[in-house]
Amino acid sequence: MGRYARLFTLLCKLSLMRQMAYRPHFFLMVFGKVIRMVLLLLFFQAVFLKVDRLGQWTFDQVLLLFATFHLVDYIMSITFQRNLSYGLPALIQSGNLDSRIILPIHPLFMASLENIDMMDFISFIPCLGLLIYALHRLGFAFTWLQAVMYGLLIANALVFLFAVVLIIATISFWTTRSTGLARVFDDLTRVGRYPLDIFEGFWKFFFIYVLPLALISQMPSQALLGALSSGFLFYALACSVLLAVIAVRFWRTGLKNYSSTSS
Amino acid sequence: MPAPFTTSAEPLTVSARNLTKTYWFHEKEPGLSGSLKALFRGRKKWVQAVQGIDLDLHAGELVGFIGPNGAGKTTTLKMLSGILCPNAGTIDVLGHVPHRREKAFLKKIAFVAGQRNRLYWDLPAEEYFQFCQVVYEIPHDRYQAAKKRLVEMADIGDILTVPQRKLSAGQRKRCELVAALLHDPRVIFLDEPTNALDLVNARKLREFIRAKARDGRHGILLTSHNMVDIGEVCDRLVIIHGGRIVFNGDLAALRQRFLPVKQIKILFDGPWERDELAQLGDLTRADIHEAVLEVETGATARVAALICSRFSIRDITIMEAPLERIIESIYARKGR
Repeated sequence: MGRYARLFTLLCKLSLMRQMAYRPHFFLMVFGKVIRMVLLLLFFQAVFLKVDRLGQWTFDQVLLLFATFHLVDYIMSITFQRNLSYGLPALIQSGNLDSRIILPIHPLFMASLENIDMMDFISFIPCLGLLIYALHRLGFAFTWLQAVMYGLLIANALVFLFAVVLIIATISFWTTRSTGLARVFDDLTRVGRYPLDIFEGFWKFFFIYVLPLALISQMPSQALLGALSSGFLFYALACSVLLAVIAVRFWRTGLKNYSSTSS
Repeated sequence: MPAPFTTSAEPLTVSARNLTKTYWFHEKEPGLSGSLKALFRGRKKWVQAVQGIDLDLHAGELVGFIGPNGAGKTTTLKMLSGILCPNAGTIDVLGHVPHRREKAFLKKIAFVAGQRNRLYWDLPAEEYFQFCQVVYEIPHDRYQAAKKRLVEMADIGDILTVPQRKLSAGQRKRCELVAALLHDPRVIFLDEPTNALDLVNARKLREFIRAKARDGRHGILLTSHNMVDIGEVCDRLVIIHGGRIVFNGDLAALRQRFLPVKQIKILFDGPWERDELAQLGDLTRADIHEAVLEVETGATARVAALICSRFSIRDITIMEAPLERIIESIYARKGR
């Protein structure tokens, strides 16, 4: 096993141990996470008691879209999101980033993955179940190529989200304190759990081409349903790669600008 | 430019030349109106934290790096360890340029800041040690041997399974030091390691640092406001003031240059005349039965003899001037 894979496994283990250090806290956290997932499903079901389509999407297709969005969202929140959005600004402000950047590992690895939120696995498992249920309702009607495209586009969505979150977090090297932009982005990404067909005109254009939230869950779902054109596929991949390159360069500039604090 | 003073013939581990660091901040006047003014028309203030200093550290050397608050000690340490990039000057640490933060460099150094704790607050130190093993790629056998040796040296064997939050500050600091040294760094930067420790824990920590330096393989640069740390463990002193180095040498040279005096402590047998004693030197302490007189080193024997002949005394002791007095006199001179 590679060094970074070993380190990642160890960070998962340490995070879990830290969360289990306080018994009442651990059990209340588990309870909270389960309730959160149940409420989300209840809301979703309530919507479809009133309508049978959202835009061009049927109930089963929206179920797939919804499960895909939460799959991506949970992977993001288990791994890098909180570390970068909230952890990094705090480390910069307190000067505690010092001890991270002098470790002989890539500083971005520590900044992104120091605290793995193992508690979100509790919500991640029903989310996987929901995905399988959606696929079952759709009759598992996809080819191997479509399944591979689906996986690839989920990875692509994570790269895209990582890049956006990293750019927002990196701003803290200049502002020193968290900017609140992370919360705005959290709220914006939630748009991605609905088919973007519900938007018209400018906003539809905006969420597909300017801030392409469509590539978080809509494009992977469309790929699995065989409804994604190759043009959109390449557009999604190009968007993420380009943004990731910009984000990493921006991070390097930010890190050079790090001024630490006094003792 | 002449090379900085050194007492060691051992190979250099750290060599810094003309090191300079400037930073800025926005000045803010007191109160809410001051905050509003700073928000829209904040005036940038530039600070020259370190101004063209030269510094060497050899293998096996333990150097005390001291100065008043804001003198540039921590900034220097952060530049030497690669946390900060200097504005000017060159640094060579074991053949590396620190601010590039190459993996090979980072594996050879340790930086311990006394006021920060990087161990997991909710978990015992042992868990963080394992993290260090993976991060520094320490082979299992070497890790076990290093851990055993360091745990023994730091005397923390009985607290390895206790969560950090349940330990005292001194115990946490000793755990922190063990974690920082597991990968056997060649150069160790210690920033006020005994800060906020009680006498017993401070002594244990000093013994630990001294033992580490004694093996001759490590170069240690230590900052402290505690003169006992400096006097007891350091081979050499570097004093920084206002971002410039004002002294670089051993303790004897420091005394000779800045305060060539001895202290005579007198325990009187009965009443004594304050004015009469004050004529013989600087009276630094005086009460009913006891006084401390400071006299030039060359005049010590003569003054001691005069005291014995003129006063009725029970006991007399001749001492070196405490390090605090010397450092105080340097800070006072430079502050003027």
